[in-house]
Amino acid sequence: MNTQPVYQARGITKKYGNVVALDNVDFQVSAGEVVGLVGDNGAGKSTLVKVLSGAHKPDAGELLLDGERVEWDSPHDALEGGIETLYQDSSLAPDLTVSANLYLGRELLAPGFWGKLGFLANKRMDEAARLELEKVGIAVPSSSRSVAKLSGGQRQAVGIGRAVAWANKVIILDEPTNHLGARQSAEVLEVIKQAREKGLAVIFISHTLPHVLEVTDRIVVMRLGRIAADAPTSTFTPDSLVKSITGLDQLAG
Amino acid sequence: MTDLKESRMPLQTSPIQTSRGERWKEIATRQETLLLAVFAVMVLIFSLINPRYFSTAAFGNILQDFGPVMLMAIGQTFVIITGGIDLSVGAVLGLSGVSAALAIRATTESGMDPMLSITVGVATALAVGVLVGIINGLLITRVKLAPFIATLATMGACMGTTLVVTGGVQIAGAPREVVLIGNTRFFDIITIPLIVVFVALIIAWLALSRTRFGRWTYAIGSNGFAARVAGINVNKHLMKVYALTGLLAAIAGLFVYFRLGSGSPASGRGGELQSIAAAVIGGISLMGGVGRVTGVMLGALITASVLSGLILIGVEPNAQQIVVGALIAFAVAVQSIGRNRN
Ligand SMILES: Nc1ncnc2c1ncn2[C@@H]1O[C@H](COP(=O)(O)OP(=O)(O)OP(=O)(O)O)[C@@H](O)[C@H]1O
Ligand SMILES: [Mg+2]
Repeated sequence: MNTQPVYQARGITKKYGNVVALDNVDFQVSAGEVVGLVGDNGAGKSTLVKVLSGAHKPDAGELLLDGERVEWDSPHDALEGGIETLYQDSSLAPDLTVSANLYLGRELLAPGFWGKLGFLANKRMDEAARLELEKVGIAVPSSSRSVAKLSGGQRQAVGIGRAVAWANKVIILDEPTNHLGARQSAEVLEVIKQAREKGLAVIFISHTLPHVLEVTDRIVVMRLGRIAADAPTSTFTPDSLVKSITGLDQLAG
Repeated sequence: MTDLKESRMPLQTSPIQTSRGERWKEIATRQETLLLAVFAVMVLIFSLINPRYFSTAAFGNILQDFGPVMLMAIGQTFVIITGGIDLSVGAVLGLSGVSAALAIRATTESGMDPMLSITVGVATALAVGVLVGIINGLLITRVKLAPFIATLATMGACMGTTLVVTGGVQIAGAPREVVLIGNTRFFDIITIPLIVVFVALIIAWLALSRTRFGRWTYAIGSNGFAARVAGINVNKHLMKVYALTGLLAAIAGLFVYFRLGSGSPASGRGGELQSIAAAVIGGISLMGGVGRVTGVMLGALITASVLSGLILIGVEPNAQQIVVGALIAFAVAVQSIGRNRN
């Protein structure tokens, strides 16, 4: 990967009280590249995601989008920058409908006078949400049904669809195959490949190593808040990846 | 690829067919229908005990109680849907009412034209309400106090201020126009303040069900994290919601002031309980994210008729709070039973 990274983090440190969740982390992703982010529970993956998506402010370090320094004051800024995120903890509002969730924060307004007053164009959003989810290849019952009435897998599908539909530079998926059966997981991997073909930079986090080995171009291993390895996927075997995650590679020396 | 196509199947369910029978069943089990039935039964019982309850004049009196409860309950509805609560609405009603009274008395005594003086009084009351709402919002979004604590504090502060500025006595001396505006009845029941209430009701209903403002209100209560990462400025929205609630409580204060023609430091006492009762009876979940204005309207109607009904059958006013408290407990219990059954 010699192309200039579309999104880059340098020297990121993030503490929760005494816990150092991220310790001087460097991370980057290029357009048309799928990077796998792996590591044990508590390694700091989701914390890094939240820094990249603007949900958390890092205590130190800098972010560069298209080579230019950026600072996110809120998740809104990162969304404007073209970075979409599926969070590990649900980022859907269960009492709202599928389409309301898909358009949350970016609602379409009615034309003319009523739109100026903030009236919503619900029909248009329902219809467009259905098409958008179909385009992604994820079928969800009805886009006007509330998310609370969907299965765990269907909810996950809505979250992924939402991220894919809006991303125009970077898409971050934190354990997207959670709650999914084998077939739906395969479909999510397909969605990731499509996103790469569209030229998006994809960050894929998962504990399912065969998925990571199948779909990624590069793998970044995190351990105790630090980057333990960062290399092309082809250089890993299932065995060496596990060793890298657990730290056994270092003991073996 | 065929493999993937097939994999979509389990995610799909067949579209729900609604037959006419099911449609009726849906209407019959709707919260609003049940509330209407409860209201009808209540009117029946009170009328049997005291036939005077069922007269136009009595109904007009119920509406006079309904007005302030409804205004406070509208604000409470928005706040509770965001997952918060506002305990200060009753105290704001009292403070804004006496603020209007003091401003109007002072300006008329200095020889100002009555209508201009009334305008000054109205503006003063509204400003007081919005100011308290903004303080609530700041305490919640900046100081990060729980809504319960923040609004408990402002409730105490407003009650104290009301007693200090009035010395604990009624502020009389309003120009004749005040009572005229407040009490002129059309068709025996409708007054100008009541028209204001219904306009507020319609605006609130539209705002909550049809606009982006309403959508964000639900989203914040449903999952605050989701709302924030979807790019919604949650703090800014909460500020608006608490300011709106303060404004509505101030309008309720004016409602009472125009009706009595004087500002009483006792006005609004128990308003927080009444508005919370109206909201939860109307189906607003204290967990946030759920509820409709139409339900709350019926909740306020039920609360107000209980209040006037109790007076009519001779229950002393101080015992009303007990009944309103019991109503809240009952409504919340019914809600949680309903939730568990789903
Ligand atoms: N909101 C928080 N407050 C305090 N500590 C936190 C918070 N979120 C995470 N941590 C801590 O930070 C560290 C990294 O957590 P993080 O969620 O980033 O791990 P992860 O790699 O995503 O793990 P998993 O695979 O279990 O999702 C952990 O020690 C965790 O306990
Ligand atoms: Mg995680």
